[in-house]
Amino acid sequence: MNKRMAPYYWMTVPAVVLFFVFMTLPALQGIYYSFTNYNGFGKSYDFVGFKNYFNLFQDDNVGNAYWFTFKFAIVVTILTNILSLLIALGLNAKIKFRNFFRGIYFLPNILSVLIVGYIFNYLFSNVFPIWGQNLGINALSTNILGSESLAWIGIVIVAVWQSVALNTILYLAGLQTIPTTLYEASNLDGAGKWREFWSITFPLIAPFFTINMVLAMKNSLMVFDQIVALTNGGPGRATQSISHLIYTGGFEGGEYAYQSANSVIYFIVIAVISILQIRFLQRREMDL
Amino acid sequence: MRTSLTKAFGTMLLCGIMAVLLSSCTSGESANGKVQIEFFQNKPEAKATFDELIKTFNAEHSDIQVTQVNPPDAETVLKTRVVKNDVPDIMAMGATDTYSILAQSEIFADLTDSSLTKTIDPNYIQMLKDVTGMEEVTGIPYATNANGIMYNKTLFKEMGLDVPKTWDELIATAQKIKDAGKIPFYFTYKDDWQTNLPFNALGPNLVGIDFYLERRENKVTFKEKYREVAEKQLELMNYGHGDNFGKAYSDGNRAFANGEAFMYIQGTWAISEIRKANPNVDIGFFPFPTGNDPSQIKLVNGIDSLFTISADTPNREQAEEFIAFLLEPENIGKYIEEQTLFAAVEGVEQDDPAVQELTPYIEQGKVIDFADHYIPAAVQLNSIVQSFLQNKDIDNYLDTLDKEWDKVANRR
Repeated sequence: MNKRMAPYYWMTVPAVVLFFVFMTLPALQGIYYSFTNYNGFGKSYDFVGFKNYFNLFQDDNVGNAYWFTFKFAIVVTILTNILSLLIALGLNAKIKFRNFFRGIYFLPNILSVLIVGYIFNYLFSNVFPIWGQNLGINALSTNILGSESLAWIGIVIVAVWQSVALNTILYLAGLQTIPTTLYEASNLDGAGKWREFWSITFPLIAPFFTINMVLAMKNSLMVFDQIVALTNGGPGRATQSISHLIYTGGFEGGEYAYQSANSVIYFIVIAVISILQIRFLQRREMDL
Repeated sequence: MRTSLTKAFGTMLLCGIMAVLLSSCTSGESANGKVQIEFFQNKPEAKATFDELIKTFNAEHSDIQVTQVNPPDAETVLKTRVVKNDVPDIMAMGATDTYSILAQSEIFADLTDSSLTKTIDPNYIQMLKDVTGMEEVTGIPYATNANGIMYNKTLFKEMGLDVPKTWDELIATAQKIKDAGKIPFYFTYKDDWQTNLPFNALGPNLVGIDFYLERRENKVTFKEKYREVAEKQLELMNYGHGDNFGKAYSDGNRAFANGEAFMYIQGTWAISEIRKANPNVDIGFFPFPTGNDPSQIKLVNGIDSLFTISADTPNREQAEEFIAFLLEPENIGKYIEEQTLFAAVEGVEQDDPAVQELTPYIEQGKVIDFADHYIPAAVQLNSIVQSFLQNKDIDNYLDTLDKEWDKVANRR
């Protein structure tokens, strides 16, 4: 029996080796360095034990980044899921040029995140202020990315605009698994559209809801490209996400080991959040 | 049957892997036998000029091929490459904290006794030693810049304004422009490094550079000494335009080139960019008048570009040949003319009319280095200043400067 399974095990070896060398080993190295004061390129470094972790909890820049990232992730996840579900419902109905619209709504996903960010940067800087001035809206008359209190909204807009695309496709796939006979039966019973949605559609797409929520949460917790393209963490540190702080502090700032400690904490946070989310949502799936 | 097939497959796989590994191990010698030199350069403004100089060099030297690498955010890219142990042969950068850290980490070759330093003005060699705190010379200063205030000569003439020589005159001039409904300074504070420019002039002139050497030993604090600097930084904000934090460096260059503002607190490095937007704009440049005694005002003049050689490069001789070529008066002359910078090589003059008002300061040695060359990059001065200019809280600002400096010092 084992001899017959042997080829299958051998087939997994290249993937396991690659994953180990490129993902696990660097992660282990990072954890190792987080206990030192290595600056990334020097020839020597010392062990400092938990000093980096201790300093992390005292550094309010780190707290600021975590607060901003959580705030951002929650808003983006909720907005993305609501919008993409609405759009998926629309794309599932019998509208004219349905396939054309499906293509259009998927377009943002295939564009490079960084380029979209830079284009929106230009729009926020030069186009939207003009609209704001013409419409008389004070808050929009200047570049909102330059305001400490409003810059995060600009980034939310761009992030949602792009993530809605993929989530829409996933929801669409989910909607298409629902047999139309159910809708026919409910129609005969005189159910309205709203009732239909809450009692039939939403429960039956529960697995897709799980996937979308977990993916959206993970991706928005790891936001980086939009931050770099739009505000580079500014004004001040108002829009500095955790990954951006790790990059600028670790490489630009030369504090490689300190930010490695930050990355270890970051990894634990994301893992815990994702696991909790999956547990909660999957239990909900089973209940339905 | 099966075993021999597996063997054949296994050998093919092995050969394939070896081929991939070996082909990625080219060590500076390419197929056509020329020595490959990688020239890593950090200024996007200077890429075109260096491309032309490299073309000339490659044509004259049939055994060497120099290629320029000019990524965005080059200093960070360089640090990531050093982490990967993929150090370029020659690196060009400013005399910033990055240069200082890499020099102290012994990434660069020791050039103290090299013939390349012979033609360089000794003041700039000393500047390098101050920045790194080392006795060894690990960089060849190439070009220096000036940080001051650019002004539009045409607009000034139209309004009958004179070049301000003191702080009070500067504010009065700005007020006159503001009263006429025009933009005195075009602030481009969406880019956080731009917020440093007034700081870099006010700090060294009002407080001095020795402050930083003393701060390293915890003998002084920002809270004690930098209040006047902070107050003046805030006062300037009254003379901007409607969207100071919404416009970036590239927007500012364009706007100033098109005559939208009278003055532009900027460095000479921007002149070539401004001329790309409008070659006919009549630019003048005066040193930042930080106080009310004109004789005390020094021009902020730092090393804009220096060359370093990797300590581990196998092509040291060829790298030095290329640098010697760039230092020849004809070539450095071309560079400083196109980039509107000043030469670190003695005897090479800058004739551009835009910066004529600055040359007396350089010739008389009335120059001082940038403050942010002495502040560690991890303090992230840029974001602290940008935040301060928005919330205008001086006490919080000075406390943050001290706190961040101490935090970073503790982590080192």
